[in-house]
Amino acid sequence: MVGINIILALSLNLITGFCGQISLGHAAFYGIGAYCTALLAKIGMPLPLTLLAGTILAGGVGLIVGLTSLRVRDDFLAITTMGVGFLFVGIVRQQDLLGGEMGISAIPSSGLGKIGFLLLVLVFVVLVTIWNLFVKKSWMGFAFDAVADDEDTARLLSVDVAAYKLAAFAMGTALAGLAGGLYVYFARFIVPDDFGFIMSISILSMVAVGGIGSVAGVLSATIILTLMPEFFRFVSDYKLLIYGALLFFVMRFAPGGMAGFVRRLFLSARSSSGAGP
Amino acid sequence: MTALLEIQDVGVQFGGVRALTNVGFSVATGEFLSLIGPNGAGKTTLVRGITGVIRLQQGRIVFAGRDISAWPVHRRIRAGLAMTHQIVRPFHSMTVLDNVALPAGHENIGNVVKALLRLNRSPARKKALELLSLVEIVDVAHQSVRGLPLGVVKRLELARALALEPQLLLLDEPLAGLNSQEAARLADMITGINRQGVTIMMIEHNLGEVLRVSRRLVVLDNGRKIADGDPDTVMADPVVRSAYVGKEKQDAAP
Amino acid sequence: MTHRWRAVQTYPETIYSMLWFELLIQGIIHGSMYAIIAVGLSLVYGLLRILHVAHAGLFTLGGYLGLLLTNATGSLILATPVAAAVVGVIGMIIYRVCYHPILDQPPYVALIASIGLFIAMEEIYRLIFGPYGLSYARPPLQFQVQFFGIQLRAAEVGMVVVSTVLLTALSYLSQKTRLGIAWRATVDDPQMAASFGIDAVRVRYLNFFIGSALAAVGGIYVSLLSNLVEPTMGGVPSYKALAIIVLGGLGNLKGTLIAALLLGIVEAFGTIYIGQWLDRDAIAFALLIVILMIRPQGLFAGR
Repeated sequence: MVGINIILALSLNLITGFCGQISLGHAAFYGIGAYCTALLAKIGMPLPLTLLAGTILAGGVGLIVGLTSLRVRDDFLAITTMGVGFLFVGIVRQQDLLGGEMGISAIPSSGLGKIGFLLLVLVFVVLVTIWNLFVKKSWMGFAFDAVADDEDTARLLSVDVAAYKLAAFAMGTALAGLAGGLYVYFARFIVPDDFGFIMSISILSMVAVGGIGSVAGVLSATIILTLMPEFFRFVSDYKLLIYGALLFFVMRFAPGGMAGFVRRLFLSARSSSGAGP
Repeated sequence: MTALLEIQDVGVQFGGVRALTNVGFSVATGEFLSLIGPNGAGKTTLVRGITGVIRLQQGRIVFAGRDISAWPVHRRIRAGLAMTHQIVRPFHSMTVLDNVALPAGHENIGNVVKALLRLNRSPARKKALELLSLVEIVDVAHQSVRGLPLGVVKRLELARALALEPQLLLLDEPLAGLNSQEAARLADMITGINRQGVTIMMIEHNLGEVLRVSRRLVVLDNGRKIADGDPDTVMADPVVRSAYVGKEKQDAAP
Repeated sequence: MTHRWRAVQTYPETIYSMLWFELLIQGIIHGSMYAIIAVGLSLVYGLLRILHVAHAGLFTLGGYLGLLLTNATGSLILATPVAAAVVGVIGMIIYRVCYHPILDQPPYVALIASIGLFIAMEEIYRLIFGPYGLSYARPPLQFQVQFFGIQLRAAEVGMVVVSTVLLTALSYLSQKTRLGIAWRATVDDPQMAASFGIDAVRVRYLNFFIGSALAAVGGIYVSLLSNLVEPTMGGVPSYKALAIIVLGGLGNLKGTLIAALLLGIVEAFGTIYIGQWLDRDAIAFALLIVILMIRPQGLFAGR
C-alpha cells in the first residue's frame, strides 16, 4: 500500500509539483486505471496487459482533462479537476457494468504470490522515482519550473506552455492509472468511494506535506502519512482528527512542506555557523 | 534597408474601449526606434500585440516576411522576437543565472520530448554567465532573485531577452524607476546591443535618454499614430507638442 | 452522503402535470440553500483569493448550535441569531489564526490548510456530538403549506424566505451603509481603499463574520429540512458551493447568486431526466465543467 501510494503521490508530483497545476481530482485517474484493470482482469487478460491498458486509458483521459487546464487557470483549474473527480465517481456509481455502488469484487489474483507482487510494486516504485528525478533534471523539468513560476513569462521565453502542461498531465495521470491497476491486484475488490474526493485530497496532501516539487520530501511524506494511521492505532478514534490537524499545521507553519522545512533548518544552521553578519 | 517588422493597420479593443486604431508603420533591420506618447496612448498594447500576448481585432503583423498575426506567443519568440516587461517579472523561484539559462538554452525546450532527453544544463549556464557579464550583474549570478534591487532586475530582464538571440528586441520602459545615472548606463548598453545588429523598438518615457539614443521616433496618442520620423523633426511637430503639453497638464493635476 | 439529499426530495403523490412546476420550486429551494452558503465563500474569495473549504465546517457548526439551542430553549427564533452570531465570531477567529499568517503564500497553501481544518472540524464534531447525528426534540416548521397546489413543508418555504431576506439585506447594507461601502471599496481595490483610510483588516473580520453567520443560518435550515445534524453534513454542500462560486465568476456576488439558483434548478430537473446516468452531485459538476469550457472565467467575470 505504501508503494502504491508513493507511485500515486509521485504521479501527482509531476503535475502539481513540477508543473504547478493544482489537481483536486487525481483519484479519478487512479480510479480509471483501477476499473480498466479490474474489468480486463475479470475477462481473463494477463497482468502486464491489464496494467498497460489501465495506464494508457488513464493517461488518455488525463490528456483530455489536461486540455481543460489550457482553458482555465489556478483556482478555476483546482475546482474543475475537483469536478472531474466527482463526475468520475458519479458515473461509476450509476453504471451496472462497472458494478455501481457495490463495486467490483472477486478480481483474480496477480498470480505472482505475495512476495512476487510486493517485488513488482517495489520495482515500479523505484522506476517511478527514477523517472521523477530524471524529469526534474532534464530540460523538461527546467521548462516546468518556468511554467509553474509564471506562465506568461515562460511563454515570452519561447516555452510552449500548452505542450508542457499536456505532457505533465499525460505522464502524471498515466502513472496514477498504473497505481490504480496495482491497487486492484492488491485489494482485489474495489468500490467507487476508493477513488473519491477524500482520496484526491490525501494524494494532494502527500505532495504538499512533503514539499511541492521535492521528490525526497514527497517520498517521506507519503510513507509517514500512509503509515500514520497504523502508528496511531491506539488512538484510532482521533486518527482523522490528527490527519486534518497535521495538514493544517504543516501548511500554517511550514508552507514549503517538509522539504522546505529541512532546507530552512539547513540554511539557518549554515548561516549561524558560517561567517556571521 | 528591408523591413524586418511591418505593422499593418492594427486595431485593438478592450470591451468597448478602442486601445489602438489603424496603427501602421514598419521597422527596418538594424533600426533603433522609440515608441513614445502619453500614458494610455496604447504603446504597451501595441508591443503586446506584436508578441501575441494580446490578440488583434484588426490588421496584420508581418515579421521577416511572414504573417505572424495568428501565431501563438512562443512561436513568435522562436522566430526571433523578444520582449521585456514594463513591470519586471523574473522567475522568483530560480537563481539569477537560471533565469537567463532557461532562454539561453531555448533550443533545448522547443520540443517537449527532446527536452526530456536533454540533461546537460552547463552550456546554457555558461552562455548565461557571458550575458550576465555583458549587462554587468555577473556577481549576483548565484543569488535568488528575491530582494534584488530594481536596477539589477531590469538588467536581468534585458539579459534574459538577449539570451533568446532575437532579431528584434521590444523593450517596454526599460529605464523606468532607475536613477539618471543607472538609466544612462542601461541606455548605453542598449545602444551597444543595437550596434551588434539587433533591431530595437523601445517604449520609454525618459525623453532625455530617448532623444540621446534613438534614431527614429513613433508617437502614439489615444491609440493612433500621430507622428513618425527622425527625433528632431518629430519633436518639432506641433501635434506632438500639444499631445505632450496636454499630458503634462494631466500629470500636474493631482 | 447522497441519501440525505434524496430524503429531502421525497414528497407525497405527485401530479404529473405539476411535475415541472414542482421541480422548479424544488430547484429554487435548493438554490437558495446553496446561495446562502456560497455567498460566504464568495465574500472570502473576493477579498482574500482563498478557497475557504472550512466554511462548510462552520455551516455544520451552525446546524449543531441551532439544533442544541432550539432543543434547550424551545425557540427557533431565538436560536437562529445566537447560533449565527457565535459561528460568525468563530469565523473571525479562523481568519485571524489560520489565514491571516499565510496570505502571502501561494494559493494552494491556504487551500490545503483549509481542507485540513475542515477534516479536523468534522472529526471534532464527531467526537463531541457522536457519529450518528442529532435530531430536534420537537422539530419546528414541519407543517405543510399549500403553494399553488403544491405541498411544501414550512421549513422549505422558510429556507427560501430567510435566504432571500438575508441576502437582500446584505446587498442593501453593502450599498447604503458606510461600512458596506468601505467593504465594497476594499474588495474592488484594496490599495485604493487603504489610501482612503479604510482599515482592510477590519473589513476582513467583518467579511468573515457575515459569511460565517450566513453559513450558520444555512446549516440550521438544512438541518430543519432533514431533521438531522451530523458531522459530515457539510461535505457535499461545501464542494458544490465551491463549484457555484467558480461558475459565478469567483468573487462576483451577483454571479454567485444566479449560479446557485441555476444549479439548484438544473439539479432538480437533471435528477429526474438524466438521473440514471449521473447522480445528483455529478450533475452539478458536469454543469460546471461544461460551462467552464465555454466560458473559462465563469458566467460572470470577476473583477
